[in-house]
Amino acid sequence: MRWKQFLTPVKSFDADQARKYMADKSSEECTILDVRQPSEYAAGHIPGAKLIPLPDLTERLDEIDPKKPTMVY
Amino acid sequence: MGGRSRVAAQMLAGKGFDNVYNVTGGFKAWESEAAFGKEELGLELFTGDESPEITLVVAYSLEQGLLNFYLSMIPKVKNDDVKNLFKKLSEIEVKHQDRIFNEYVKISGKSSSREDFEKNIVMKAVEGGLTTQEYMDLFQPDLESVEDIIGLAMSIEAQALDLYLRAADRSNNPESKKILIQIADEEQTHLTQLGKLMEGI
Repeated sequence: MRWKQFLTPVKSFDADQARKYMADKSSEECTILDVRQPSEYAAGHIPGAKLIPLPDLTERLDEIDPKKPTMVY
Repeated sequence: MGGRSRVAAQMLAGKGFDNVYNVTGGFKAWESEAAFGKEELGLELFTGDESPEITLVVAYSLEQGLLNFYLSMIPKVKNDDVKNLFKKLSEIEVKHQDRIFNEYVKISGKSSSREDFEKNIVMKAVEGGLTTQEYMDLFQPDLESVEDIIGLAMSIEAQALDLYLRAADRSNNPESKKILIQIADEEQTHLTQLGKLMEGI
């Protein structure tokens, strides 16, 4: 069912959990994805975050490694 | 933000990403550890084609910029705790440089002295995108407040961390990429230490 995609449950982290999760990992081991607009990114972002604004995400999926844990904000 | 990140996370999960987390609270919760600027900021230093050797030289020069900044602040403040803090921060940078220099000697096979290296090879006054004056203007720290200074240092380290990670992302040389990630991980450790220091006040 195609629309199952819309119901896929995703896990949530608050900032503290995310920090703890990343603390014992090399920056290479997980992706931090910023889906906001470039102007929001420029005004401040999590260090090392990959910027792919939400409207571009489907086109640019190949830029993220599906095998790595991914944190989206 | 919450809305957008949730949708994005669901899209990824639907496309076969197994391990996706929606970080709630958005960017606000990260303010003290934030980096600033466009995706290209500071990347004129790292075009992506640098050899491991040059990568280390650029990194050393960047750390020198931070070191100079911390050192220049010591005589400007009156509070002894803040003075000591700047000293501590500068010592951390020196240790970081020690490691970068050792790696440089190992990789290049050149047995130049540290002095020669600094005089002839290191670039002058490199800063990671923003100048220190721009940092001061951006954060306007109270120079006699330990808390403000730790906050400023965290922002500066976060900026450096961000630059190394963006440089790693665009690097075409696997060895250089590895080095950049290693340096970034060290910056991450500094940032965590500073966070703990802030908690301890």
